[in-house]
Amino acid sequence: MISVKNVSKWYGAFQVLADCSTEVQKGEVVVVCGPSGSGKSTLIKCVNALEPFQEGEILVDGISVGDPRTDLPKLRSRVGMVFQHFELFPHLTVTENLTLAQIKVLNRQKDAAVAKGLKLLERVDLSAHKDKFPGNLSGGQQQRVAIARALCMDPIAMLFDEPTSALDPEMINEVLDVMVELAQEGMTMMVVTHEMGFARKVAHRVIFMDSGRIVEDAPKEEFFGTPRSERAQLFLSKILQH
Amino acid sequence: MNYNWNWGILLQAEPGGSGSYLQYLVVGLGWTLATALAAWVIALAIGLVVGTLRTTPLKWIVRLSNAYVEVFRNVPLIVQMFLWFFVLPEVLPTGLGDWMKQMPPPWGSYVPAVLCLGIYTSVRVAEQVRAGIQSLPRGQGMAGTALGLSLLQTYRYVILPMVMRIMLPPLTSEFMNIIKNSSVALTIGLLELTGRARAMQEFSFQVFEAFAAATAIYLLTNLVVVLGMRALERKVRVPGLITAQGAGAQ
Amino acid sequence: MSGFDFDVIQRSVWYLFRDGMTFTVTLTLMAMAGGIVFGTLLAMMRLASFQPLAWVAGAYVNLMRSVPLVLVIFWFFFLVPYIGAWVIGEKTPIKVGAFWSAVITFTMFEAAYYCEIMRAGIQSIARGQVAASLALGLNYWQTMGHIVLPQAFRNMVPVLLTQTIILFQDTSLVYVISATDFLGAAAKVANRDYRLVEMYSFVALVYFVISFAASYYVRSLQGRIAVVR
Ligand SMILES: Nc1ncnc2c1ncn2[C@@H]1O[C@H](COP(=O)(O)OP(=O)(O)OP(=O)(O)O)[C@@H](O)[C@H]1O
Ligand SMILES: [Mg+2]
Repeated sequence: MISVKNVSKWYGAFQVLADCSTEVQKGEVVVVCGPSGSGKSTLIKCVNALEPFQEGEILVDGISVGDPRTDLPKLRSRVGMVFQHFELFPHLTVTENLTLAQIKVLNRQKDAAVAKGLKLLERVDLSAHKDKFPGNLSGGQQQRVAIARALCMDPIAMLFDEPTSALDPEMINEVLDVMVELAQEGMTMMVVTHEMGFARKVAHRVIFMDSGRIVEDAPKEEFFGTPRSERAQLFLSKILQH
Repeated sequence: MNYNWNWGILLQAEPGGSGSYLQYLVVGLGWTLATALAAWVIALAIGLVVGTLRTTPLKWIVRLSNAYVEVFRNVPLIVQMFLWFFVLPEVLPTGLGDWMKQMPPPWGSYVPAVLCLGIYTSVRVAEQVRAGIQSLPRGQGMAGTALGLSLLQTYRYVILPMVMRIMLPPLTSEFMNIIKNSSVALTIGLLELTGRARAMQEFSFQVFEAFAAATAIYLLTNLVVVLGMRALERKVRVPGLITAQGAGAQ
Repeated sequence: MSGFDFDVIQRSVWYLFRDGMTFTVTLTLMAMAGGIVFGTLLAMMRLASFQPLAWVAGAYVNLMRSVPLVLVIFWFFFLVPYIGAWVIGEKTPIKVGAFWSAVITFTMFEAAYYCEIMRAGIQSIARGQVAASLALGLNYWQTMGHIVLPQAFRNMVPVLLTQTIILFQDTSLVYVISATDFLGAAAKVANRDYRLVEMYSFVALVYFVISFAASYYVRSLQGRIAVVR
């Protein structure tokens, strides 16, 4: 579904991604972790072309992301993305947030878009808030709306960039529950997160990054059993402490 | 475009007999700068005082200075020009009014123009001064007071010298505004740069050469002011102090 | 001086407002609308990643901001007839009234100032908003039109209004092309009846009241918007 082949990226002289390769199969859940600044966000943003890269190739459902002839809006509309800081549109109501791209990008009728939006809102248990503005929701609620917004587009895969790290501890689980459910339904997911509980529960594979490199790319059991690299061991011991 | 360009016109003699049209325009720049500089002195002096007063704890003074700012900010410049030129001499005591009216040209236009522009700009300077003072860390004032300085001394020796440096970039842009605004004085008969470009157009019928030349002169003047101010800024920079420009730049 | 003659104001006040103030207000509103639209386009150009576009817009804005408005008014007053002739393919310059000449001038001139306001507004929108919009598949124009500009505009409403009050005052400079705006109308009466003191004092008072009330309103708006945000 998503295949990353030898991708490298530089900001000026500074190399953010170094020869990264990995594969995400249909229905697979892959967790990406690693220390701050290691290039996790950059990698995941390259997948839907929010960041350009200089070398290598990324294919999403067989379509090359870096190819200048690719219809990027169309490709992006098929890949859902959830951000660390939610990025709901503050000047639009929850319903408008859910329907805007459906109407403008997928050319759905307004009624159909609203119906779809409300269905997914119900799924994340927020139907009562459909007419509120994002500013009047808690962080956890906002992130659930953001997930619903991405799901409205009927994505073939979902990307998550630290979806819980801006949340207060008591709100983390309400978001993780939604994500676990999604994973169990067979959604293809690439998730940057430090929530190892989540990884243990639903991930198929774990990728560990350090200084722009993919240092470890292993099935979950193997990764949590005996990580091969020292860096990954150190990292794991640090986050598993708390 | 069906227009007969004739750049040579700039070197032809103007009908007043003072030399070429180009010289005529350059003298206009002289009047522009003479007006702007004299008005700038007034604007700085009043602006500093009023702006400072607006930050003092003296309620009535603050209210009075605010009123001053509001009055001169909410009336268009050209209307203020007319008040100084047409209205003031009539409402002043007869002797003084007649003296203003009988000043020989160009002084009869120059003096009201300078007063008008000076006061008009003083309001803007006052705003910058107030903003500058209020942007200073509160500790500066307190440090002054702690050293045993009086309120007046604290302002004079601690606050204002700092503020002047912070304010250099906004003041540069106010100074460029005063140069541009001095063109409004043509409405009361002052033949500064724009006024002369207009006169040249009327004498010679070469509209666009006249305005293009004036535009070029304004652009050059701007360039000189910007470069000059930048040099000044480097000279008075205090190590470690963030200037308003540095903090405000994108 | 033979006392203040209120009568001349009373006699001309209807004319001043019906002809003069209508001109002034119409000009202000049209130039505001045109200036904000054109200024927003300029701001988008200035922020474009395609350098020549950014450069052209930057040069235009800096040119307009370096030259006195009076000179710009003269420029357009003489230039617009030629441009108009060129556009419709006439040989001789077409006639353009003072009003339309002024509308074009102020739209083009104020656009430079509105541009800088909108540019700051666009830059104040977090980059994540753009990323989120693109990630949903919206294209550049949709992202600008539905996500960035509405928020930028909302954040900048007080500054845009303040600029419009300045524009309102600046329109009085059409006096130099003998247009009958509020000041022009008053000047005509003043010179006809030789009542300069009364007329110009009255003009100053009217401008003051309108501008002061408007700035007061903007300030209160600023307070309210700050609370919502
Ligand atoms: N626009 C940019 N210009 C220059 N360097 C950048 C830019 N964006 C990111 N970087 C650098 O690229 C590196 C990788 O950034 P990235 O955001 O991908 O890290 P991350 O693994 O997501 O970290 P975190 O856990 O803090 O989110 C960092 O060192 C960062 O400083
Ligand atoms: Mg990150």
